[in-house]
Amino acid sequence: MRIKQLLISLFFALFALTTMVQASGNPAPSGEATEQSSEEHVYKSKSMAELANSFWKTTGINAILDTKDGEMTSEPAGHDAERPMTAFESSLGRIIMILIVFLLFYLAIAKGFEPLLLLPIAFGGLLANIPLAHMAGEHGMLGIIYNMGIANEFFPLLIFMGVGAMTDFGPLLANPKTALLGGAAQFGIFGSLVGAVLIGFDLQQASAISIIGGADGPTSIFIANRLAPDMLGAIAVAAYSYMALVPVIQPPIMKALTTKEERQIKMGVQRKVHRLEKLVFPIVVLVFSILILPESTPLIGAFALGNFFKESGVVDRLSDTMQNALINIVTIFLGLGVGSKLAADKFLVLETMGIMVIGLLAFSAGTAAGVIMAKIMNKFSKEPINPLIGAAGVSAVPMAARVVNKVGMDAKPGNILLMHAMGPNVAGVIGSAVAAGVLLSIFK
Amino acid sequence: MAEVNLLAESVKFMLLGMGVVYLFLYIVILAVKLQAYLINKYFPETTPASTAKKPAPSRTDEDEKARIAAIVAAVNEFCKNKS
Repeated sequence: MRIKQLLISLFFALFALTTMVQASGNPAPSGEATEQSSEEHVYKSKSMAELANSFWKTTGINAILDTKDGEMTSEPAGHDAERPMTAFESSLGRIIMILIVFLLFYLAIAKGFEPLLLLPIAFGGLLANIPLAHMAGEHGMLGIIYNMGIANEFFPLLIFMGVGAMTDFGPLLANPKTALLGGAAQFGIFGSLVGAVLIGFDLQQASAISIIGGADGPTSIFIANRLAPDMLGAIAVAAYSYMALVPVIQPPIMKALTTKEERQIKMGVQRKVHRLEKLVFPIVVLVFSILILPESTPLIGAFALGNFFKESGVVDRLSDTMQNALINIVTIFLGLGVGSKLAADKFLVLETMGIMVIGLLAFSAGTAAGVIMAKIMNKFSKEPINPLIGAAGVSAVPMAARVVNKVGMDAKPGNILLMHAMGPNVAGVIGSAVAAGVLLSIFK
Repeated sequence: MAEVNLLAESVKFMLLGMGVVYLFLYIVILAVKLQAYLINKYFPETTPASTAKKPAPSRTDEDEKARIAAIVAAVNEFCKNKS
């Protein structure tokens, strides 16, 4: 009883103290407030016609119809980076972009193409094309999001952390040589780099575009932002739409490069992996990336962090947050921020077409190189290797592995390749992070 | 600016990039093999842990079965009474 009374009296004493402090603090600001309110806006009387006219000037219909209103582009970097929009950008361009956005909505909702990413990106694009609102500007919602985590490459790293926490390296550890397949698929990046240079991009832009071949959204955004920020929107959209199209793009290439017998090859059962191996692996990868390629450590470091937390088994709450809550929140922001680059003045340029073409080339080349590498390995390996699993070397976790599994099942029912394909798949994530590090180190 | 052969340059990038990716992954493969060997040698597969674990789940399994049986019986009884 006594303790209770004591607590209550203590509470009241604190309450009295805080109110006194507040009361003594109050008078000073109130004085400033009266000074400010004395500067009133001068308001002139307006006729009804004038009011209606000025309102008409601020409508979206007028902004789209009047091509000579001198509207400025919205730039998250601030007013200095802005330029007047061309007539096309402020009128027809917006309408085209809004139609493209609706197409993305359709693909995401009706066709189920990576809806988790395409929907935020597409909606960001819709918001970015609203006239006069300057949502993608320095003080607009999209601009704030962009500056918060994309301009400084923060969000891609958070995504990588979540992906790390979701990844199980068991299949790779059980059969480490499949990592080479994840390396071969990075030919998609470097082969299409040559292609991009051929059609007239400069080296820096070509590098940024070709990273699409890594089939890794966060890495693409990370690199594009460093090497060619103007192309970020197109590169991110290309990367994510081709990742969504993995089940469409890959099977024909895989079938063209393999015979039916090769597709029917069954692979043995994987050995059981010791828990300690899984725990040590992220640290091993991180140590090597520190020694060989510190430029890639932001990506690999975040990835290793997520994976280490997961495998440690003592911080389930943290790893659960990374896998779910955190990655979901960041996905919303990342999508909206990337969507802000779908504004007509940034997306409807000739380069976008080139980026789409090179992206597709990069993806196909990566798949093909992975399959060919797997065929070579099958020739020299003691245990049989189904060449199909090479296609999973493009990262796109776990979509590419699932596609491999499906093609394998089509060739021979019961031929389950999923776990075997996960090895090259997660190696592909590391491989594309390393490739990204190489590209960054060249342009440092 | 002096004429730079962009194509030759990009091919050089390709050689460097693929080389580094392969080198990196190859080293990782060696390291993984080494760690698998070391770990399985000095911390052999956790046989005691698995034997220690087994009794507990089996007991709960039986508990679970007994519970399900009890629930089924109760539901049956209830249905009979109702009709």
